[in-house]
Amino acid sequence: MEENYLQVPEPEQALPDLSISSSQGVLQWISSVDHKQIGIMYLWLSVLFLVIGGLEVLVVRLQLAVPNNHLLSPEAYNQLFTMHGTTMIFFVLTPAIFGFATYLLPLMIGANDMAFPRLNAFSFWATFFGGILLYFSFLAGGAPDAGWFNYAPLNQYNYSSSPGIDYYCFGLLLSGIGTVSASVNFVVTILKFRIGSMSLKQMPLFVWMILINSFLVLAAFPSLNAALIMLLLDRQLHAHFFSSASGGSAILWQHLFWLFGHPEVYILILPIFGIFSEVFPVYSRKPIFGYAFVIGSGVAIALLAFGVWVHHMFATGLGNTVNNFFAASSLLIGVPTGVKIFNWLATMYGGAIRFKVSMLFAIAFLVEFTIGGLSGVSFAIVPIDWQLTDTYYVVAHLHYVFIGGSLFGLFSGLFYWFPKISGKMLDEQLSRWFFWLFVAGFNLTFLVQHALGAMGMPRRVYTYPNLPGWAILNLISTVGGFLMAIAVGLLIYIIVKGIRSGDKAAADPWDANTLEWMTSSPPELKNFDRVMPVKSTRPYRDYKRPEDADWKKPNKYGK
Amino acid sequence: MEMKPIIYQWHFNLFVVLFLAGLILLYYRISGFKRTNNNLCFTLAILLFLLAECSPLHFLGMHYYFFAHMISHIVLLLMCGPLLVLSIPDKCLDPFENGISAFSKILSKYSWIAWLTGVLVMWFWHIPAIFDASFVAMNKVTSIVPLIHAGSMLFAGAVFSWPILGPDKKLHVHPLAGIVYLFTACVSCSLLGLLITFAPLTTYHHYDNGLSGMAGSNPWNISQITDQQAAGLIMWVPCCFVYLTGCIYLLQRWFANTSYSNEKSIDLKTTVHHE
Repeated sequence: MEENYLQVPEPEQALPDLSISSSQGVLQWISSVDHKQIGIMYLWLSVLFLVIGGLEVLVVRLQLAVPNNHLLSPEAYNQLFTMHGTTMIFFVLTPAIFGFATYLLPLMIGANDMAFPRLNAFSFWATFFGGILLYFSFLAGGAPDAGWFNYAPLNQYNYSSSPGIDYYCFGLLLSGIGTVSASVNFVVTILKFRIGSMSLKQMPLFVWMILINSFLVLAAFPSLNAALIMLLLDRQLHAHFFSSASGGSAILWQHLFWLFGHPEVYILILPIFGIFSEVFPVYSRKPIFGYAFVIGSGVAIALLAFGVWVHHMFATGLGNTVNNFFAASSLLIGVPTGVKIFNWLATMYGGAIRFKVSMLFAIAFLVEFTIGGLSGVSFAIVPIDWQLTDTYYVVAHLHYVFIGGSLFGLFSGLFYWFPKISGKMLDEQLSRWFFWLFVAGFNLTFLVQHALGAMGMPRRVYTYPNLPGWAILNLISTVGGFLMAIAVGLLIYIIVKGIRSGDKAAADPWDANTLEWMTSSPPELKNFDRVMPVKSTRPYRDYKRPEDADWKKPNKYGK
Repeated sequence: MEMKPIIYQWHFNLFVVLFLAGLILLYYRISGFKRTNNNLCFTLAILLFLLAECSPLHFLGMHYYFFAHMISHIVLLLMCGPLLVLSIPDKCLDPFENGISAFSKILSKYSWIAWLTGVLVMWFWHIPAIFDASFVAMNKVTSIVPLIHAGSMLFAGAVFSWPILGPDKKLHVHPLAGIVYLFTACVSCSLLGLLITFAPLTTYHHYDNGLSGMAGSNPWNISQITDQQAAGLIMWVPCCFVYLTGCIYLLQRWFANTSYSNEKSIDLKTTVHHE
């Protein structure tokens, strides 16, 4: 290397574990193009924003704890709930999913890195700086305040003259570029860098879901990016895309946003389905029930995702004809999701189940996500949607899907793969405390919001009158919120304790099935020197139990 | 004069009838009516063609309702076309064997041509000026316009579905590529449907009350805006479900066919050690 170049330290032997202090300093992390380090950084980024977004909503819940409260001004309230939603979706769930995918994908397909390692690093840093830009708005004159969906005309200069919404646009554009480039990387890695003997029909389901998800990202994000640029043109150069007063259309924003936004819901859940499709078989000690159906329903969900977005707009006056068609199509999307629920139930049926914390979250997911799914299906019925739209029923529904679905899946994945990533075991007893605290807090917070919504309490309003029942239900919700906060605090303690003084993890502590478990915990810088031939969907199990290998029973497990 | 009830409005255009007769003759020369399954597909295709071009559905589409016209399009493009392709036996009679085989090879190699044919023909007939012009003289028994309109739709539907359902299974596109093929067509279909749904009422003139030839007639009291929205939505939503069903079928075919089991990715930089 020429002398003028900056000497960037590179790992020499084993990678550092989860701690950021290494013998080669933080610069070694910053300059890394290793998929495992980038994956870990994605996960840390997600934890950081989880804490920030969580603190924001705790203040919101304090404001709502009692009626007619003036702890927060309406302006501050608007900024806080907007930042909470935007943070949780774009900078907590998305990076956490991409973190797991970046870390695990090469390991699961027998590759030593992603197809484009530098692009991988770019994707992470684009996401990171996207988040920083979004939060810089607080220093620049005010955070965005028009909700995470940023509806027109509230996003127009006349309604929000602080630069917050401009930072929203720049932040999401930057992180969106990171998301799209990461997805390209995933697709190429999966299609071109699998171990030679692994056919598509033998790929782990998590990898399958990431593959489907990546196509979903590539198809959905351009709509958001286009809308953000149009909005910036409106705000900065006085274009009129979304300004009804000057010939634009406020509804156009909703179309463009939900053309992205509804697939985004699936972008945040399909990889989670992949995580559960790894967790259920391992802890049930059975192969997944209906491997092909899990993939097929995933593909169906991805395709349907683009045909139902108008159900977010039933109340915008598009007319009965439009509403009826999208009511029908929206009802249909519950079918493939239901198929998956039965896949996992049937996987558990007759299995020798181990109730580890990861599995507890998986089982809790089945209940919570089904509740979220059912309330979602109820929105497909137009009169119910008209009655409940913009109420706390929607807030309850989306949190049952995003927390009871996505976040539970991420927790399940965290407890499952933490030993692999860190080389340390988590405290099982404390982890169970965390599980029960979180589940109790979650249901306490959001179950009552179904009732509040049915009673007509509007969302996105900074306070409420003391109507019968509203005060007590809101107080319960706030108590639940703080219980969840305590649980998250406990989780961070468990993780830090695990990293510092946890028991050393074996390479394969859960007797798992897929290739990542044949590496050491944590894996060396070079993932694999050699990989056994893949002959079924459970290659590592085949290797450990050659006499009982799946590929010897082609009729039973398919091949 | 009082109009006949709609259910009795069957109109047979001379060229359409001749075309059907020719099609039946051609099918006989290709297949000899020997295989029940192929015969069934062919019969269904002919019946659906009659439904789209001669039945009260066609009458409604001609004179009153955009949505009925749109249903005819879907029947021709997404049902008749694929059924016709399915009716072609894998072993055709001479002298058609070589021609069909060569056609299959071309479309297998250049499946984008088939995709473009399906998509472009569909869009072409919805360009407002073309759309309005296509109705001129369409209800005359001796007009050739209905045949050009329906024939091109049928042709586009058949060519579009050929790489997926064609007679030579070896020349089908890979099922996973087929999913992309259908999904992208679905996106195109959605865009067209979306444009029609939200287009101003002045975009398509044929169904303006004064121009349809049945001024003021509206047997089912459906407003023009509802009619146009329904037309666009039929193109947008149910049409996409047809493509989606095709995708699920292809996925099932991929899983069921063991010859796809040994597909490999390109080799990895990792040293592979076979135990």
